[in-house]
Amino acid sequence: MADDKFDAIVVGAGLAGSACAYTLAKAGKNVLLVERGNTAGSKNVSGGRLYTYALELLEPDLYKRAPLQRKIVREQVMLLNERGATTIDYFNPDFGENIPQSYSVIRAVLDEWFAAEVEAQGGMVASGILVDGLIEENGKIVGILTGGEEMRADVVVAADGVNSLLGQKAGLFPDVKSHAVGVGVKETIELPDNLINARFGVTAEEGAARVAIGCTEGISGGAFLYTNKGSISLGIVFNPEQAAKQQRHIQDIFQDFKMHPAIQALIEGGTSVEYGAHLVPEIGYQGIPKQLHREGFLVVGDAAQFGINTGLIIRGMDLAIVSGLAAARAIIASPSTAEMGALYMKQLEELLLVANQRAYQNFHGIFEISRIFGGYPKLANDAMQFMFTVDGKTPTPMVKGLLRAVKKHATFGQMIADGWKAYRSL
Amino acid sequence: MPKCLVCYKWTLDEQDIKIKPEDLSLDSSRAKGKISDFDRNAVEEAALIVEKEGGAVEVLSYGTAAVKLSLKDVLSRGAEKAHWIADPSAENADAAVTANVLAAAIRKLGPYDLILCGEGSSDLFNQQTAPRLAALLGLPCLSFVQKLTVEGSTVTATRKLEDCQETATVSGPVVISVLSEINKPRIPTLKQVLGAAKKPNEEIKIADLGLKPEDLQPKALRQSVKGFVMQRRNVVYKESSAAENVAKLTASLASEGLC
Repeated sequence: MADDKFDAIVVGAGLAGSACAYTLAKAGKNVLLVERGNTAGSKNVSGGRLYTYALELLEPDLYKRAPLQRKIVREQVMLLNERGATTIDYFNPDFGENIPQSYSVIRAVLDEWFAAEVEAQGGMVASGILVDGLIEENGKIVGILTGGEEMRADVVVAADGVNSLLGQKAGLFPDVKSHAVGVGVKETIELPDNLINARFGVTAEEGAARVAIGCTEGISGGAFLYTNKGSISLGIVFNPEQAAKQQRHIQDIFQDFKMHPAIQALIEGGTSVEYGAHLVPEIGYQGIPKQLHREGFLVVGDAAQFGINTGLIIRGMDLAIVSGLAAARAIIASPSTAEMGALYMKQLEELLLVANQRAYQNFHGIFEISRIFGGYPKLANDAMQFMFTVDGKTPTPMVKGLLRAVKKHATFGQMIADGWKAYRSL
Repeated sequence: MPKCLVCYKWTLDEQDIKIKPEDLSLDSSRAKGKISDFDRNAVEEAALIVEKEGGAVEVLSYGTAAVKLSLKDVLSRGAEKAHWIADPSAENADAAVTANVLAAAIRKLGPYDLILCGEGSSDLFNQQTAPRLAALLGLPCLSFVQKLTVEGSTVTATRKLEDCQETATVSGPVVISVLSEINKPRIPTLKQVLGAAKKPNEEIKIADLGLKPEDLQPKALRQSVKGFVMQRRNVVYKESSAAENVAKLTASLASEGLC
């Protein structure tokens, strides 16, 4: 191996970077994976669920080797008002049948494993290295700069996360726009497995995933909860612009959410072991930069703003893996760097990443309906309260009682307008 | 041009060790390894000396099988070759056993002009390995060194003592233990990290060191390890006069045998 030149340098040992480097190393490419943290995953704050198909796409049965947490068999949606909660719970122990649908994951563990897999395939992994910039020659990216040193490669793959410095340095896109991202905080709360099993109605290997709305004080956003082995990942993501307008601090909103009686009961007795905040690509297809490559340079994963949030499903990790794979396939198949960009875009199409993103392209329009984050969850809880109240008095007729609950939170005109907006966004 | 050997220990990162509240036992299941903090200073100091004076830096470690995980890291910090002894005996080794093993290995590998150690390990912090090594090897020992100058075969060290500094000069082979303030360990660059993978490392089997069974028998046996949690009494004296409060406080302290 030449000391100062690689076939490819991948910057960032998250899922996109490791998927790319793994595939390249497996194909015999001389690849260097550079990670800023002291170990892969040490900088990661990501929530916690991986849709398994993506690992399967990378290599059949790879998911069986991966250190995954619990197979998600319960999907839960929680609508919160001040003290109450209406929860929809879908249970399916066979979800995904042959290849399980999804697992909760702890990224510090998963990413470290993945980087070790890259090494096992013959890739070089260098952690604790901060990349400062790119080397550009004759309009091509030909390497990276780090700590005053140059390291050259035929192609540099930017897998450096949502705030991609390299993408900006390459001139492909500007700094992140506040409307295009959510601010997320996540806490990992240790809790004995027997309590997790009992509180979420799952067995030792199974887990629940939960999303909640109505906990962000009307600000566009929501909360998530995943059960791991011996811990729960609990977090909240919301729109930073709206929060700033309301002068609300994320930690206060998160604390109020944790103190909600329905949430507190789930985490009681637990110990908080980790707390972090991060940006999340939030507006899906429309947030993806027009240009994800230039000669000698490809952008993958969060750096490319790949992400899908339907309100019920939050995806990022699977898309990261698929995009890393797409980049690797493009690099392997390209006779020279000139064709790589176009081949990468073609691979994104072929691996259906683009189709997935496009299917939800207007979805974030739903999140502009402010009542979804306040009025409607309250409405649901008031309706529940009315229907389940027995106090011996003359009951209010059902329709009248329900209408009363509805009218408290929205007029029919508003509901029709919201419904129309939702319909158009879907 | 000094030939340097740095002895280092691969310890668990104490930041990752948790104390279980129920029985104060330690949970190190998620703890990652690291080069013991002061040993990192020792490696750095040797690298600085060699950058200035020429010569070579080798490193030596004795530990459990986990010691292999340290090689890439230590070799990216300026050492040219790593020698390592992986043996289960390291699990319960005290400073005497550690010094016995290291001294035997040094007799095999040496001689060296400078043998550097950290002041104490991040986990046990006995501060004994360097002086014991010197005694076993019949070399002078300069401990608690905060400044080191090497010129030819003359080693000048500033030692930090309780209430003063001492400057000592030694000619010829010496064992040195360094303090953290002696330098700021480098953050390895990409080329140093990549270069580390190509540097040689060599396992030394403990059986080849000619040690007697008693050499590997710790004299200090660890009975238990428990986390330390400060427990407060949370007593507040709220009498109206300060004198009464003081009287109650002293009575309370006396009953605990504290005054």
